Amino acid sequence: MDELKFRRQAYEDPHNQDPEFVAQMQESAENQAFVAELKRLDTKLINALKVDVPEDLADKLILRQQLQQHHKQRRQTGFLVAMAASIAFIVGISFSLLRLGPVDLAEHALAHVYHEGVALQVDQNVDFTQVNAQLASMNNLGNAKFTEQPGKVYYTSYCDFQGVKSLHLVLQAEKGKVTLFIVPIEKRMVLDNTFADGKYQGMGFEAGDAYILLVGEDKTDLSFVKDEIKNTFI
Amino acid sequence: MFANWRKKSVEPAVSSDMLSKQRRYNSLVKALHADIFRYAFWLCGDKQVAEDITQETFLRAWRSLDSLQDDKAAKAWLITILRRENARRFERKQFDYADVEQESLEDHIASSTEEQTEQYWLRRQIAKLDIEYREPLLLQLIGGFSGDEIAQLLELNRNTVMTRLFRARNQLKELLEKTEVRGQSNG
Repeated sequence: MDELKFRRQAYEDPHNQDPEFVAQMQESAENQAFVAELKRLDTKLINALKVDVPEDLADKLILRQQLQQHHKQRRQTGFLVAMAASIAFIVGISFSLLRLGPVDLAEHALAHVYHEGVALQVDQNVDFTQVNAQLASMNNLGNAKFTEQPGKVYYTSYCDFQGVKSLHLVLQAEKGKVTLFIVPIEKRMVLDNTFADGKYQGMGFEAGDAYILLVGEDKTDLSFVKDEIKNTFI
Repeated sequence: MFANWRKKSVEPAVSSDMLSKQRRYNSLVKALHADIFRYAFWLCGDKQVAEDITQETFLRAWRSLDSLQDDKAAKAWLITILRRENARRFERKQFDYADVEQESLEDHIASSTEEQTEQYWLRRQIAKLDIEYREPLLLQLIGGFSGDEIAQLLELNRNTVMTRLFRARNQLKELLEKTEVRGQSNG
């Protein structure tokens, strides 16, 4: 390493630990003094660069960060609440829209018969005037009523067909009992003329301002009740 | 109501993560805030501005603390953020380039021991150095970075960095010798 390069390197970094540089430095007392002087300059410079740091700077830095974090959390909370609100809103809207969707009366009638098993067991021996009173209290059914007793009525009750108030009757037919639903006509309802599952037969028709649904175990029973209704229900 | 509910359900899951991040940040602040502040000061020459830049730097560091993989690299990482922050200051506002303000240095020579006078004088000389020469010197002396690391931080090649270091020291040494000669002749 020539003298020039050595001096240059000393200026670049007097604390250079490169073996070649260190060897060159130790070659002469002059070189050592030269580097030592530059090291002294560095010490002075390092001290000069150490300007006073504001005492509370570290605390301020932590405080600022925590304030910001706090704000961020509050923003996030707001966002979450808004999110939850919109989801709740959407769910609410879709439920009410679903209720307006087409209603399959047949399926519902069967489900209702299974659900209210007790209706086929009790014997209330209901008079047709009582049934008429119930019919009169129902909306959208006009003046529908029975003109005479449609055979023996075991059971009568209001029930709910997808939000529509309907009447649930159990009548005696030739062989067994037949369940009869009287549902006010609504556009969104879908009515099948006949339907069935493993156990029950079903039948649907319009009479007056209402849909009539019959559910029973025997098909001839259904026809029997249908004729009965056609004669007595207006 | 929502706030309470949220605190109960979310915080336990997040807290340990947040806590370790917070601890990491705190130790980063404690270990490096002085160096970062000083670097900022020598970059911009104003204590108030330096404090602002330091604040911004650490806030940014907090936001992207997860991207800091190696704590040993923290200083270089912070300095990179700081330099970007300092550059942004010039985009926002057209500062005049009058580097280190004399007023901010004045109050440091409270008493008048010879050493303090010399240090004050030296500070003015460092402040007067061109930024191209001053910055590599700051990185070497405050940051303790090697020539290669400085080259990487400043996006220069190593030879340029070494030349600038050479010139910076050369200038300062010459100035120092000149005043010493002058001082002797005067005294």
